[in-house]
Amino acid sequence: MSAHTDQIATAPATMAPPRRGRTAAQRLQGVLAHVVWIWLAGLIVIFGLLNPFFFSIPNLQNVLVQATVLGLLGLAQSLVLLVAEIDLSIAAVTGISSALGALLIQRTGVPVGVGVVLGIALATGIGFINGLCVTKLRMVSLIESLGMMITLQGGLLAITRGNTITDLPDSYYWIGQATIGGWPVMPVVLLAAFLLMGFTLRRTVLGRSLYATGGNAAAAFVAGIRVPQVKIIAFTLSGFISGIAGYLLAAWQMAITSNQGDGFLLYAIAAPIIGGVSVFGGRGGTLGILGGVLLLTVIHVGLAIVYVPSFYVTMIGGVLIFIAVAVDALRVNVLGEG
Amino acid sequence: MANETPLLATRNVIKRFGGVAALKGVSLTVEAGSVHGLLGENGAGKSTLVKIVAGLHNPTEGEVLLDGTPLGPVDVKAMERHGVFLVTQEPAIVNPLSVAENLMLGRWPRRGPLVDVRAMRRLATEYLEGTGLDPLAPAGRLSAVDRRKLNILRALHSGGRLIILDEPTTALTMADRRVLFDFMRKLKQDGVTFMFISHYNEEILEICDAVSVLRDGLLVAGNQPVAAVSSDALSEMVLGRGLALFARHDADRAKAEAPSWNFTGIKGRGFAVDRLALAPGEIVGFAGLPGSGAGEVARAIYGLLPAQGTVTHNGATKPLPAEPAAGLAAGIAFLSEDRLKDGIVGIHSIASNISLSSLGRMATGGVVWPGRERALVADFFKRLAIKARGAEQPVGQLSGGNQQKVLLSRLLATKPRLLILNEPTRGIDVGVKEEVHRLIDGLTREGVSVIIVTSDLDEMLRTVDRMVLFAGGRIVGDHPAGTLTKDDVLRIAFSTGGPDRVPPPGSARPALLQHPPKVLAS
Repeated sequence: MSAHTDQIATAPATMAPPRRGRTAAQRLQGVLAHVVWIWLAGLIVIFGLLNPFFFSIPNLQNVLVQATVLGLLGLAQSLVLLVAEIDLSIAAVTGISSALGALLIQRTGVPVGVGVVLGIALATGIGFINGLCVTKLRMVSLIESLGMMITLQGGLLAITRGNTITDLPDSYYWIGQATIGGWPVMPVVLLAAFLLMGFTLRRTVLGRSLYATGGNAAAAFVAGIRVPQVKIIAFTLSGFISGIAGYLLAAWQMAITSNQGDGFLLYAIAAPIIGGVSVFGGRGGTLGILGGVLLLTVIHVGLAIVYVPSFYVTMIGGVLIFIAVAVDALRVNVLGEG
Repeated sequence: MANETPLLATRNVIKRFGGVAALKGVSLTVEAGSVHGLLGENGAGKSTLVKIVAGLHNPTEGEVLLDGTPLGPVDVKAMERHGVFLVTQEPAIVNPLSVAENLMLGRWPRRGPLVDVRAMRRLATEYLEGTGLDPLAPAGRLSAVDRRKLNILRALHSGGRLIILDEPTTALTMADRRVLFDFMRKLKQDGVTFMFISHYNEEILEICDAVSVLRDGLLVAGNQPVAAVSSDALSEMVLGRGLALFARHDADRAKAEAPSWNFTGIKGRGFAVDRLALAPGEIVGFAGLPGSGAGEVARAIYGLLPAQGTVTHNGATKPLPAEPAAGLAAGIAFLSEDRLKDGIVGIHSIASNISLSSLGRMATGGVVWPGRERALVADFFKRLAIKARGAEQPVGQLSGGNQQKVLLSRLLATKPRLLILNEPTRGIDVGVKEEVHRLIDGLTREGVSVIIVTSDLDEMLRTVDRMVLFAGGRIVGDHPAGTLTKDDVLRIAFSTGGPDRVPPPGSARPALLQHPPKVLAS
């Protein structure tokens, strides 16, 4: 009996680098699995040393508030990445769904709650359409969602006529502005969303189906997973979460511009990937996504706080993201995780 | 002959992958101008050896000599410059291009930056004279055997002297095999050397001059003249002595009972079966060439291929499942023939691979109970003796045999009443093979019916109760396994049409095929 001989039969033609010193590699792998948190801790220390204000409670609150919208969008993108697709329209969805809800409230006088819900419903519907296009029409999600993104951006410009929507009822802004005991409310949504997502991914049939679909769609299908339906659900939930992110963004900024949300897209893709979500699907967890989101937010806030001349902020931020992704690639490729 | 310098020699070649030795010191010699057979079980190290010779791998230790000259580290391009070409099972042919373009793929005659089409056609016409290939025909229209010829010719045209054929007869009809062998003999007379990999003794005996046998990474027979060996001797070398092969002696028990599964009117694209019945605990083998309907009907029953028809089980008649999820719900489980493609989720753990098809069974309101899942996984881990670091190890890291055990665990966890197993023992080593057969045998004692689809006829004949033979999308024979020999099966199912010339269902079948073959009657 030789379990090793048949390993050869399945050895791929192009061999992965041989794994030697398994325990050493495993230890390194263990470290790298949490690399996003190590990286995050390091940056917090550096920013804090450069400007002690970084360690203050108000700044911590600021980081958490800033992380909320990005965090939700990171989750929305992760759902789609997990099934080995991508959705470029999520940021545009935040803009148009919140604008539509706000305009309904302003022009038709529907109650605030109804307007918000209708906005989120629109976002959910757009996600559903994305899912249908990708599964039933077999459109390539990269291009399909690009088309959707441009359409929605144009749609937002059209319905706002290039103007910024402001002067909504105070109740609309409450969630973005309110504090309880000196702490802002927004991060509660972030926390709730991550807890819910974590539970869904780890413990529910849906979550397991998402992973299996992304890990090997053909195998999942043969194993009885309804792959197209799972993908449609991923896109739909992604739209739903983007809709919530859209409302929070509007309530926090107290305004909806004619290009609302645009700046978030690439960060919403980068955050999960930095946190270990694979663009090839089936890999990644909620904790990693949270790490990625916090890392990007800390870079963003930290660079502003340590008085880096504003001309350099974007570039330095880009380099830091670049390094984070390079480290992640090292983890996946060199150590052959999985 | 023996005193001449061999064309190819490997000297004490050792190849390790990670800590695992695939080749444990192989010294092989191949004489120039011969057809050299390479035989061995899956996983014996054949493909590794061949890949080393072709330059895809470099040996961990030892060396490869060509014309007596040791080669240093090489790659595929370097070996091709030396005239060594590997022609794989799946011929690498660009379908939309013509035969001529394929022949000179990447080495087209140029006129400046452009391909000189006229020169290419002229050269190809000259080169292909007498081979029966039309240089202007689109390569996509070629028959299976012509595609193999084209691949060999392409290698020769690129300066090939040693052509390695990896199971070239897969999916060929008997007639096609003969054509291929004649073609090889002709080329041999022109001085071409072949290494010929096959699982079939009779093919080795027919076409090869000498044979080498690998077992478990070692050469158990090197460069033996085939004139001196018998088929039985080959089998013994391949398998090793003392291996108790599983054989089922249970055909009669199953026959006595009324069928538990009745399929009627199965009809889909390229296949049509009026009636198919399985008794409780019966193992039925589906045999036929690719495209013959054997694999197609098996997939249709599970809901993987769209098809009309009904299934009756436990007194209820329903349409065939429309998707695998429905197949599972009906009590059917299905093992894919290609573990890596649509079997395992390689990046995920053993545990999640085992529970994948039973998530609903372990959940309440969509929430999976971790305790139930752990118990299920632990149960199968023990029952099937899966060898791994633990249930959290990614399945992609396991050996083929253990991956297959994980997949079987996934199937059995659904508590199926009908198991459809495609190539259940492909790519797993001898010991695990027998384990799998005993496991299947055990299940039938609980009344589970089993369909096995495999191209390994020897194995099928000793492990099934009944053989259903397919050709042209229809059943052309249905016999108790004990009454058939491999030759009967080959003649009935494997010589009536390759995948390229499957007659559509409804076309007239030769009368012979409607009845048991003469051999059986006599």
